[in-house]
Amino acid sequence: MAYSEKLIDHYENPRNIGSFDKTAGDVGTGLVGAPACGDVMKLQIKVGADGLIEDAKFKTFGCGSAIASSSLVTEWVKGKTIDEAEAIKNTDIARHLALPPVKIHCSVLAEDAIKAAIADYRAKAAKKDDKADAAE
Amino acid sequence: MDHFARLGLPAALDLDAAALDRAYFALQRQWHPDRFVSRSPEERARASAEAASLNEAYRTLKDPLSRAFYMAERAGVELPGDGKTIDDPDLLMEAMEAREALHDAETLEAVDTLAADARQDVRKALAGLASLFLANDRAAIRKTLLRLRYLDKFAEEARARRMNIERSTS
Repeated sequence: MAYSEKLIDHYENPRNIGSFDKTAGDVGTGLVGAPACGDVMKLQIKVGADGLIEDAKFKTFGCGSAIASSSLVTEWVKGKTIDEAEAIKNTDIARHLALPPVKIHCSVLAEDAIKAAIADYRAKAAKKDDKADAAE
Repeated sequence: MDHFARLGLPAALDLDAAALDRAYFALQRQWHPDRFVSRSPEERARASAEAASLNEAYRTLKDPLSRAFYMAERAGVELPGDGKTIDDPDLLMEAMEAREALHDAETLEAVDTLAADARQDVRKALAGLASLFLANDRAAIRKTLLRLRYLDKFAEEARARRMNIERSTS
C-alpha cells in the first residue's frame, strides 16, 4: 500500500510528542481509544489567557496512520480558538494525509481526541467559574 | 446452530479443553469427505458444509479469549466495531501506562516481567467473566472484554518489543 509523503513525514518526524500536567487549569486532556485495533491516543491542549490554543501535545500507541493523524492535529490546533479547533473534521485530516480507506478510522480517533480535550478544558473552566462565583 | 450445540457441549466459558478436542475429532470423522465419496451430490454438499461449520465452531471455542467474545455476542453484548472509539478513562489510562512501560523497557527481562503481569491480568479477567456471564451482567461483560482486547494487544506488542531487543543485541 502506498502512503502519502505527508503521512510518512508525520509518522517519521512526529510533532509535539509529550505531555502537559493534566491537573493544570489551562490544560485540556482527551484520552480516547479504538478497541478494535487496540489503539490508545492522548491529546492535550494548553489554552492561553487570550482564549487561543498556545500549545498542544500528544502520545499515541497505535499504527502509523493514528500517529500521523494525532501529530497533524496538534499542529493544526495551535493558534486556533477552541471553537475553531472543535470544528476540525476527521475528513479534513484524512484528506490532508491521503489516508487509505482502511485507515480512515485513525482520523476519527484524532477528531474524537481533540473534541475530548476541548470538553475537558471547558469542564475545568466551568468549575473555575463556579469557584470564583462562590468566592464572591 | 450455535457453536456449542454443534459440538454437543454446554455453553460455558470454562470449557474443558480435552472434552472440546474429543467432541471435535469425533464429529470431524463423522463428516469427513472421504466417507461421502460414493454418496449423492446433495449428501456430499451437506457433509462439506457440516465439516466447515464444525471447523469454525472449534476454532472459535478453542481459544479462551475468542470463546469469551463469542459468548458475549450470543448474550447480546454490543462491542465497538472497526472505527468506533471509546473514552473510558480507567481502561484507557491503564492501557496507556502499560504501553509506556513497555516502550521504556530496554531489556528482555523487563519485557518478560511486563508480559507475565499482563498474562496474569488476562487470567484474572477471564476468571471473573464466568460469573458475569451467569449473572448476564452485560455492562460488566462489555467492560471486561474491552480490557481483554487491550491486554491482548499488549501481549502482541510485547512480542514485537522482545524481537526488537533481541535483534539489536545480537
